[in-house]
Amino acid sequence: MTSAVDVIVIGGGIIGSAITYYLSQERVKVSLVERGDVASGTSSACDGNILAIDKMPGYDSQLTLKSQKLLDELVESVDYDLEYAQRGSVLVVEDEKQEPVARDWFTRQKEAGLPMRYLAGREVFEDEPLLARDVIGLVECASDASLNPMALVYGLVEASRSTGAMIRPFTEVTRILQDSTGAVCGVETTRGVMNANQVVLAAGVWTPALAVAVGVTVPIKPRKGHILVAEQSPRPARRKVQEFGYLLTKFGGAEGRRVEAEMDRHGIAMVFEPTEHGNFLIGSSREFVGFDRRCNHHVLELMARRALRFFPTIRDIHIIRSYAGLRPHTPDHLPIVSPVPAVPGLYIAAGHEGDGIGLAPITGKLVSEMIVGEPTSIATEPLKLDRFDK
Amino acid sequence: MDDDTIVCRCEEVTVGEIRKAIRQGALDVTGVKRRTRAGMGLCQGRTCEKIVTQILVQELRKPIDKLEPATARPPVQPVTFGLLAEKSYD
Repeated sequence: MTSAVDVIVIGGGIIGSAITYYLSQERVKVSLVERGDVASGTSSACDGNILAIDKMPGYDSQLTLKSQKLLDELVESVDYDLEYAQRGSVLVVEDEKQEPVARDWFTRQKEAGLPMRYLAGREVFEDEPLLARDVIGLVECASDASLNPMALVYGLVEASRSTGAMIRPFTEVTRILQDSTGAVCGVETTRGVMNANQVVLAAGVWTPALAVAVGVTVPIKPRKGHILVAEQSPRPARRKVQEFGYLLTKFGGAEGRRVEAEMDRHGIAMVFEPTEHGNFLIGSSREFVGFDRRCNHHVLELMARRALRFFPTIRDIHIIRSYAGLRPHTPDHLPIVSPVPAVPGLYIAAGHEGDGIGLAPITGKLVSEMIVGEPTSIATEPLKLDRFDK
Repeated sequence: MDDDTIVCRCEEVTVGEIRKAIRQGALDVTGVKRRTRAGMGLCQGRTCEKIVTQILVQELRKPIDKLEPATARPPVQPVTFGLLAEKSYD
């Protein structure tokens, strides 16, 4: 099989499908290559958050806001039920020690333009009556939203197909091909060679392995995260709820929490997300344990225990399923969305860790703008691959 | 089987919806599950998995032993938050 397109996108997860969608909107001839079914890696083992509340105030949160705006357009234009709901989200403040940090976070996000509220004392329980009685505050961001991540992948893939994109699932890229000058000229796959002068590597945690074969080091490591799925049941909260300590496990400094060492060792922090089907999801864990996607029973126990600390009323609700996914972690928590200077024609779009669903629209848009040669929607300097050389 | 027949009773997924998922590229039970929710309910596919497999065999004209088996996800049986949490006190 030899076929010529303008761009080959490697990876049929949320990032690769968003890139394919925006390129096909620009009438670029694009082919999406995925080794399994689309949405079968990390994008099938996550939750569906579009959150600004947990982003660093500044570039990080501005990137998210741009992405949220694009997502609003996608919800209208993609002919697929994305199960999109904009209910807002809250961070739970556990004790007096967390309060000043949480108030500071609230102030900075509000100054950055997010629709924030701080609730204290009785207001907390008027808002979310089933939270544990000893929590003391809530930080709310009203614009946060959620959706079904797999539905977003399927919707983007179907929309891309209808505008002429070629979708090649169950086709594994074994090598990126270069011509005599070192520029990209295609990919070698398990179903033959495909030619193109531009290749976008959007393979999440599997990105470094393909990049290293063309001499490019990509500092992405798999960070494993577990999720519990609860049966359809009365919900303990009406919208997304995360413990404030989640920010501490995300950015570091979790030692400020009053939890036993086992919780910190596995990066356990309570995250609650209601789904459109009446179930709810409970996270989270964060740990560097290689590429093993199997669930660790001990971690699931710790997560259940942490969930009960904040929602004592869920004691008798059943967990029907659990799963684990590998989030692509970078050293500075920002993704890589960048051309690769050493290999002309090669682009990398990966490393979104737990923010891939929320940042997929802006990532797809930025890659499309880079390839078409338009000014980018936001400065891309902080997303460049060479920032790690400095 | 009629398109309106319900296959997954927990999530109320019909034969027609499963056939549509197969047309969109689902090649196995997991691909159908991710696209339709068949098998994502309380019984986790105990009732419908074999029927979904049968529809896949018919639609894809593929022998049953060439289909990928469904991904097994813990817990084997539904377990309450209380029970799971307390076990870690051992």
